[in-house]
Amino acid sequence: MKKLGHFLLPYVFGLVILAAWEGGVRMGDIPEYILPGPVAVLIALRTNFGELLVGLGVTLQVTVIALLLAAITGAGFAFLMAQSKLAERMLFPYAVILQVTPIVTVAPFIIIWVSNIFGVLLILAWMAAVFPIISNTLFGLKSVDINLRDMFRLYGATKTQTAMRLLIPSTLPHFLSGLRIAGGLSLIGAVVAEMVAGTSGEKSGLASRLLEASYRLELAKALACFALLGLTGLLIFTALDWLSRRLLRHWHESATDASQGGN
Amino acid sequence: MAEAILTLSGVSQTFPNGTQALATTNLSIAAGSFVSLVGPSGCGKSTLLRIASGLLPPSTGQVDRAFSAAPGDVGFVFQDATLMPWATVIANVRLPLEIAHTPAPDAQAKAMAALERVGLADVASSYPRELSGGMRMRASIARAIVTNPRMLLMDEPFAALDEFTRFKLNDDLLQLWQANRWTVLFVTHSVREAVFLSERIVVMSPRPGRIANDLTVQLPPTRDANLRLSHAFADESARVTNVLDQAMEHTP
Repeated sequence: MKKLGHFLLPYVFGLVILAAWEGGVRMGDIPEYILPGPVAVLIALRTNFGELLVGLGVTLQVTVIALLLAAITGAGFAFLMAQSKLAERMLFPYAVILQVTPIVTVAPFIIIWVSNIFGVLLILAWMAAVFPIISNTLFGLKSVDINLRDMFRLYGATKTQTAMRLLIPSTLPHFLSGLRIAGGLSLIGAVVAEMVAGTSGEKSGLASRLLEASYRLELAKALACFALLGLTGLLIFTALDWLSRRLLRHWHESATDASQGGN
Repeated sequence: MAEAILTLSGVSQTFPNGTQALATTNLSIAAGSFVSLVGPSGCGKSTLLRIASGLLPPSTGQVDRAFSAAPGDVGFVFQDATLMPWATVIANVRLPLEIAHTPAPDAQAKAMAALERVGLADVASSYPRELSGGMRMRASIARAIVTNPRMLLMDEPFAALDEFTRFKLNDDLLQLWQANRWTVLFVTHSVREAVFLSERIVVMSPRPGRIANDLTVQLPPTRDANLRLSHAFADESARVTNVLDQAMEHTP
């Protein structure tokens, strides 16, 4: 019974907040163009479900492809930098600049240089997502057990053998932790990119629909987009968390039973 | 005395920051012997071991081995078990063979045999984190002997274990060595462990690391756990401790 309560706690909390919101909106007689209640949002979600689903599809496509590209290029860059101190010294500051530059400020240039709008969105989402992967993978590559390295050297392992059997498995937990952060950032990047790039029409994503709806004071629809984006972010995180646990379950502290409070 | 399997001539080690880890050292190890390097921290015993393994090229001097330094001729046991946590115990033991492209069934059989020799056959498919510290160290020893090396280099392998586990592993290592007669170079800071296991003890002193004394252990060559309880063992331990203390006194 206590366990069930523990499990339900966040959901109950959410429902209480939603009920208070709905009650407040009704009792205060607040018009829908100022603040719609959750019921109105739900109705808007149902009415526009087809359109919003298409939008979600577009945003999700940008998010997932950008994340995959970030995973490949980020891990690649980190591997390159781990090969030599010189390469790291040369490249890492630029990785940091990439991270600290708000993508909103870069967007206008990318829009001028890249004609394909999907390409623009990809580039911007990639920019938002790639740094944690570079940074975490590099950290992982640098923290490979020095004695294990010696052992591989002692047995005359080739560079490929060392990479496949030591560096990659040893770095995997760090890479995955970077990937989990990058998943959320990729979605944020895709959303921000859509908003600055001002995509419109049939092939626009959920963020564009949100913007359109808010311009038209269809706040219920805008909030429905917002809710869908939030759920998508949660879904991406959950999926990446599952992947991480799945890949590390046999050996890494983060994925073993002990770290889950004995569940 | 048997033929020397390893000879260090005029070997010294100075690190790039200027620290002299090892002063000019000459050392010859007889084939099939069990030699311990004993001394306090900073006496260069680990450095000497790394030079012997070929992992660390000496700053000066020459290392001669009586065997081709092919991978697998030297087994190394680190202070930590140094197992790959993502691989099962048997996969860890197979690693040296797989690096050398040994066919899979052959590698599997040899790894299993090595695990049997250290008494770990029943946990072959467990992961290292599921094992106790003593068992992890056994797995590490199995990996070091799986290639049937000419020389076994051990760097304070039992330092992190409790005394009971340590005694048990000492007994088992002694048995393994008596059965196989690899040449063992064993680093420890425990005099009793060195006396119990070795035929010869090289006493080292720090600042800079150097050989202070070289003793032959005055105990019967065939030994077992009962030796630890004997007067002869206590006397011999006292003698070596004395020599070690003298070496310390002459340290600047």
